[in-house]
Amino acid sequence: MEYVSPEGLRLDGRRPMEMRQLRAEIGTVAKADGSAVFEMGNTKVIAAVYGPREVQNRSQQISDQALVRCEYSMANFSTGDRLRKPKGDRRSTEISLVIRQTMEACILTHLMPRSQIDIFVQVLQADGGTRSACINAATLALADAGIPMRDIVTSCSAGYLNSAPLLDLNYIEDSAGGPDVTVAILPKLDKVTLLQMDAKLPVDIFENVMGLAIEGCKAVSNYIKEVLLGNTKQLEYRRGL
Amino acid sequence: MDARLANTWRLTVNEKNFIKTALLSEIRIDGRKPFEFRNFIINFGREDGLTEVQLGQTRVMAIVTAKLVQPYQDRPNEGTLSIYTEFSPMADPSFEIGRPGESAIELGRIIDRGLRESKAVDTESLCIIAGKLVWALRIDLHILDNGGNLVDAANIAALAALMTFRRPECSLGGEDGQEVTIHPPEMREPLPLIVHHLPIAITFGFFIDESIMVIDPTHNEEAVMAGRMIATVNANGDICAIQKAGGEGVSQRVIMRCLKLATTKAVDITKQIKEAVEAYNSERALQKIKCKSTYAGTNEENRNQSVDSKGISELAGKYMERLKLVSRECCVSPNNNEVETKSLRSGTDGINFTSGPLSWDPYSKGVDPEFLKVSLASQGLSTPNKKKESSGEEKPSGTEREGPYDDVNPKSSAINTSRIEIQTKGQKTLKDAVKPKNKRKKKGSSII
Amino acid sequence: MRGLQLPLSQTQRIRLQRAFEKLQSLSSKANSDASVTVADTIPVNYEDTFLKGHGTMDLNGELVATVCGVVERVNKLVYVRALRARYKPEVGDIVIGRVVEVAQKRWRLEINFSQDAVLMLSSMNMPDGIQRRRTALDELNMRSIFEENDVVCAEVRNFQHDGSLQLQARNQKYGKLEKGQLLIIDPYLVKKSKQHFHHLEQFGVDLILGRNGFIWIGEHVEARDSMVVDQANSSEQSPVLEESNQAYTPLEMRQTICRIANAVRVLSTLGFNVDADLIMETVELSTSLTIDIHDMLGSEFHVLVAEMEAERRSLTTKRKR
Repeated sequence: MEYVSPEGLRLDGRRPMEMRQLRAEIGTVAKADGSAVFEMGNTKVIAAVYGPREVQNRSQQISDQALVRCEYSMANFSTGDRLRKPKGDRRSTEISLVIRQTMEACILTHLMPRSQIDIFVQVLQADGGTRSACINAATLALADAGIPMRDIVTSCSAGYLNSAPLLDLNYIEDSAGGPDVTVAILPKLDKVTLLQMDAKLPVDIFENVMGLAIEGCKAVSNYIKEVLLGNTKQLEYRRGL
Repeated sequence: MDARLANTWRLTVNEKNFIKTALLSEIRIDGRKPFEFRNFIINFGREDGLTEVQLGQTRVMAIVTAKLVQPYQDRPNEGTLSIYTEFSPMADPSFEIGRPGESAIELGRIIDRGLRESKAVDTESLCIIAGKLVWALRIDLHILDNGGNLVDAANIAALAALMTFRRPECSLGGEDGQEVTIHPPEMREPLPLIVHHLPIAITFGFFIDESIMVIDPTHNEEAVMAGRMIATVNANGDICAIQKAGGEGVSQRVIMRCLKLATTKAVDITKQIKEAVEAYNSERALQKIKCKSTYAGTNEENRNQSVDSKGISELAGKYMERLKLVSRECCVSPNNNEVETKSLRSGTDGINFTSGPLSWDPYSKGVDPEFLKVSLASQGLSTPNKKKESSGEEKPSGTEREGPYDDVNPKSSAINTSRIEIQTKGQKTLKDAVKPKNKRKKKGSSII
Repeated sequence: MRGLQLPLSQTQRIRLQRAFEKLQSLSSKANSDASVTVADTIPVNYEDTFLKGHGTMDLNGELVATVCGVVERVNKLVYVRALRARYKPEVGDIVIGRVVEVAQKRWRLEINFSQDAVLMLSSMNMPDGIQRRRTALDELNMRSIFEENDVVCAEVRNFQHDGSLQLQARNQKYGKLEKGQLLIIDPYLVKKSKQHFHHLEQFGVDLILGRNGFIWIGEHVEARDSMVVDQANSSEQSPVLEESNQAYTPLEMRQTICRIANAVRVLSTLGFNVDADLIMETVELSTSLTIDIHDMLGSEFHVLVAEMEAERRSLTTKRKR
């Protein structure tokens, strides 16, 4: 199957180095301390953050830092066929672990000892790149909740099909069996926190693909900063003096 | 996170600081250099597809089984490969019985990605009838002891198990060609799996300062490290999978450096695994011959093969049948003089089994100091002899100190290491049986 | 939804838009420039000495924000005021909390902070008013003072070494709050003022603005002595009798309380600062237009309030100029 046409267009009409359209919204879950909806093309993810609040399970309390918990689940209706087990299966557990460790690296947990921060991420529509969308949504929700962070975390995925590196794969391109590289960076520090790859790829091509994904992450970070700044300004002027 | 904090083993602050300070001067607490991989031993089990890997103090067991199932609908002519992990609480107090926790699932998925998505095992050859019957391979990984770096050890165990696994041969028959008959192993030789390449997982540990990086962290180092990256590469320079889940951020440059380092390490490890598997295979083939010969009821062949008295060869044969365990020890660093390997003869007849003790292993308990002295003395005796006789051998043979280790090492319960050496065709090999005292005397006399 | 999720007609939308734009133009320019997001560099003259306050971090020698908010400079202190964050307690703040646990010699209160606050038994006035040492009997009778899910008003006494809060309720005006409604809004909307206890005479209603975003609107209670009297009585009587003994809140009073509560809700949805004057104005607006209580939460009233606020602020800025 041809994923990149001879003219250089992908299946959905994008160029190989083009990302899907991004859309973010803050404050969607009223009860949560922070929440956000993040869309990357057709992939739509909602994240809610509760905290810092009292640790519910006393035995898990850490005396000098905050406990970060994360739960990733996919809605039954998020994929084409109804999902049998939205959470608790191995993939969801692994992604929960991955998101938790990624966010934990950027939250300044030592400022909130003996407390707990819960991050709940749910995929409403899955069309490839759910992991990246979840991390972006979680970043927005954490910033909305006013939790101090070292830097925002942005994420993007890239692949390599038909001898061309492609940015931001959708579901069809992802299930083609080619390599899929998901990267999350701290844009200000220019460091990579999350890096996951599957399927075979020679080292030099991998370097290209990873570089492309990092560029995508930087583009996402610009957008996220824009959204956050707009939101902050809006809250401030509404509040008045 | 699901492990109760009360059960987590915690390092003291002093120890943590010590490890960090030592790393600043590129010293690790077990004496390795930062980019040194631990020595590992692969033990094979009685059945095909059963291996146990010992990487330092970490022990992982892998078992491969297969059964016939219906294939997935979207892949009708491919077999399946699934990986299950079992984190037994005896390995680490923080593991809990019951459903696998987060780290168990992560380990399973990393190895799964490395093996399945990179197409290391040829799944199309597992198809019998397209759309109806395929072989489903199942790899079970049991963690027996957690000494750090479970992923690498489990990966090596899984690879070794896959390479030594044999599936029964089956043929189609019947009127419409749909009837499948599975031939039992006694009737027809079971077939090995087609493994295209060996993806090796290498774990890197990052510490607070980005420039500090180690390969193959031990349990202590894992408690101190700020981030880790697992790169699954093969000897051809392909990257099969990478997993870096959060933790300390690293720059792109460092990641590329890690990958290049991983590729060089993978070449070494692949070589060792292949050697070990080959040794096992040749031993197995020899076993088949022996089986047939004893079945036929003649002992002549046995006698011919052994230069020494037939008692020893019979003993050897019996040990082969009874124990059927081969241990392979792989040296990583050439500096390690205490640990030696025997190179494999091109012919399948000559099989040398040695395992030198890991004398640097600080965790071995209960070694009688007298024993040690005696064995050291015997080593002094045997090595000059060996040097005289061994012609084509690359390294001087080691001594058998495995006997006391067998008694002493509580971990090698089911899988004992047999130190049987068979002398064939005038090759000078050491013979060693489980009872060291008897055999040590014979060692001198067996030389011809 | 936190934002405005009301069905707005086209005209309403335009009106609301205009009101917000007016507010935006009124807000001082300096403020909008000072908004930062996470990991933004804070413009600071590095030659001068300055103190790094909350919400800032030193990264490779430059000052970087760790939360989204507005940069404030007070003399030499530079800090970032986070907008939508959990309550940041200061000693002497009035807070309202809900009891979650009755523990040994203390009550644990939930106050929208990163940990639960602690109200020690010794920081609480005894029902009989006598200052004495708390005995074991007092400890056993803690439940008669506060139980789980009671709403309590208290003052922040100090911070403990592990970061948790200690409260005290030694004054007459602190203590259990009854006969009213508790509202939860964002803490940043409640500013620190001289008075947090407001007695709205014309309605006969008590309004307590807790700094942690918990607002209490209830029937006016004269003094806390009633609690003393009740204790003496209730020890003999059954709870059922006790309820019937207490005065029944008339319907009008309840309606007034609801009206005020809705006014607070509208203000918090629109994101305006909540203080007593503004609440009063909003209530007057609703009564003058004879809007039903439940209609107050409708889209029309929201738009009206937004316009009113825009007017008010423009008036105040003009007055300042």
